[in-house]
Amino acid sequence: MKIVYKVLAYLIAIEVAVQASMVVLGDAGLFVYIGEGGVLDKATAESGALQFPEFFAFVVHGINGMMVIPVIAVLLLISSFFTKIPGAVKAAGLVVVLVALQVTLGLLGHSITPLGALHGINALLLFTAALYAARRGRAAVVSAPAQPVHAG
Amino acid sequence: MTGTRRRGARFRLALAGAATIAIAGPLLWLWQASLLPDTYSVMDMGYADYGGAPAHGLEHGLEHAAHMAAGSERSLTSFTADPDRKADVEVTLVARKQRFQLATGRSVEGYTLNGTSPGPAINATVGQLVQVRLVNESVPDGITLHWHGVDVPNSVDGVAGVTQDAVAMGGSFTYRFVADQAGTFWYHSHQVSHEQVRRGLLGALVVAPAPRPPAGTVDTVALLHLYDGARTINGREGDVHVEASPGARVRVRVINTENGQTSIWTGVPFRLVAVDGTDLNKPDPVRDLAISLTAGARADLEVTMPEDGSPVRIHIGGPTGLVLGRGPSGPPPVPRPAKTLDLLSYGAPAPIGFDADRPDRRFEYEIGRRPGFLDGRPGVWWTVNGRMFPDVPMFVVAEGDVVRMRISNQSGETHPMHLHGHHAVVLSRNGVPATGSPWWVDSLEVANGDSYEIAFVADNPGIWMDHCHNLPHAAEGLIAHLMYEGVTTPFTVGGEARNQPE
Repeated sequence: MKIVYKVLAYLIAIEVAVQASMVVLGDAGLFVYIGEGGVLDKATAESGALQFPEFFAFVVHGINGMMVIPVIAVLLLISSFFTKIPGAVKAAGLVVVLVALQVTLGLLGHSITPLGALHGINALLLFTAALYAARRGRAAVVSAPAQPVHAG
Repeated sequence: MTGTRRRGARFRLALAGAATIAIAGPLLWLWQASLLPDTYSVMDMGYADYGGAPAHGLEHGLEHAAHMAAGSERSLTSFTADPDRKADVEVTLVARKQRFQLATGRSVEGYTLNGTSPGPAINATVGQLVQVRLVNESVPDGITLHWHGVDVPNSVDGVAGVTQDAVAMGGSFTYRFVADQAGTFWYHSHQVSHEQVRRGLLGALVVAPAPRPPAGTVDTVALLHLYDGARTINGREGDVHVEASPGARVRVRVINTENGQTSIWTGVPFRLVAVDGTDLNKPDPVRDLAISLTAGARADLEVTMPEDGSPVRIHIGGPTGLVLGRGPSGPPPVPRPAKTLDLLSYGAPAPIGFDADRPDRRFEYEIGRRPGFLDGRPGVWWTVNGRMFPDVPMFVVAEGDVVRMRISNQSGETHPMHLHGHHAVVLSRNGVPATGSPWWVDSLEVANGDSYEIAFVADNPGIWMDHCHNLPHAAEGLIAHLMYEGVTTPFTVGGEARNQPE
């Protein structure tokens, strides 16, 4: 179960990196599109077609953020119950809380834009928390032989 | 020693199992509860909301109540145009799934009506009986036609699974209705609509007033649709030229068939003469203002061509638009004015024909958003009055009721709300009363944070959808229905016809 826990924690960190890269890729594509004379109004944005090749990145960001990452976070929390790594539950719990906060900030940012800025900062916190959770596993492996065993 | 360790390990495992059940159990239960049955009637969906009136129409007297109690129900299929009346306008539309070409040569995989998309524009004069035979030659999912903005009899509203079964390949269905209101409308499929409308099953419907406009008047349709990202007016990319002589009055009927709003503007003064098929009262000429056109909505603009013969450009959302005038050369584009025309205070007030201050029913339609499962899919989904599809309200009315509805939006995104079968008048926005021309809508943009009070008379019995016309949002559950007491439907969502209205 330790390996499952570690893989899921690293997966969250990788997913956060993917999210960051996708949103900037989408933005870059959007500005190139506008620079070439393209116009994006709500009718175009909601038409379901890829106006510019990088538009897929926004779609990936949305599906990843609202479906995939929350599911991985819940699985991470469940796997943490079955590991003997000290602090795994706390670390996984922190990841879940930050994921929930991240989705909330992302959606609220659509209407209250400063929350979008916090969404960016919280991404770094989540990335760090995911790595922290993953590396707790590593620390436990190293220190395992040194754990004293008391007679009961 | 080992025994204690084993006991400790067992205890820890039990604790982990219990914690897992505590987290996964409710999630699994929510997931399971969200799964939709293969077949269901919209009448069984969600919960009934009587809008503050007693159930079963007691307020209309005991006779009515007894009538209801006796179980005298009426199927919506009985609400039709006079079957003995001869049709004035007859059209046959054959739907195909095919690859077709836009005027620029761009090839599009989609759906056509009589070989084209948009389908043929249907023209009628007010009072005429329109009869459209829809034939499905090769659309695998089945099709229907909904007459967007026309208050048709319920049996021909064209909603698969609510007012009819989807027309399967090889089948046909005949729509008959009296075009009793002059104005600009459109038609589109209401089967798997988020996909079929996008791919081209749509067209314009124009109902002309009985006294024809004077000679020299130009009347033109500008139907906006995107095909695979290509922005078109009447199926053409780029500028669409319309002949107009100097001094001529030009009426431009803009139809937004898209899922999001678009802006209309021009460099010359214009009047906004109609919205959603209803003329505005005494609309003044304005300039340096843009019109925001809701998804599914229509706006009729009127411009007078300059006497010096210079052409006029009507921008529809940016690069595409109409060029009015003589010859192919268009004037240079102008930027969108910063300000938008506010219909709350445009034009002059006029009687609306009923007393909206003494409604028989009051409804709330509050749009929100929260995490959960939609038919088993995790996500952050739309809610109506705090509940998620299919647990949405059925607004129940009786014929003749004056109905008030407050539509508010706290979901973080804008929603173009569309009520079938009725036109509603806007009373106020965010508590600010409407002071302009009566503003009748069938498609109303409710921006995030906004709240509208609207009112209408329940004068068209049936079961009517009341949903978001950003069609993917409807597919994500932003739907409710309006139902008249005693009206039933024999149709179901799903089932053998594989009805899927959204």
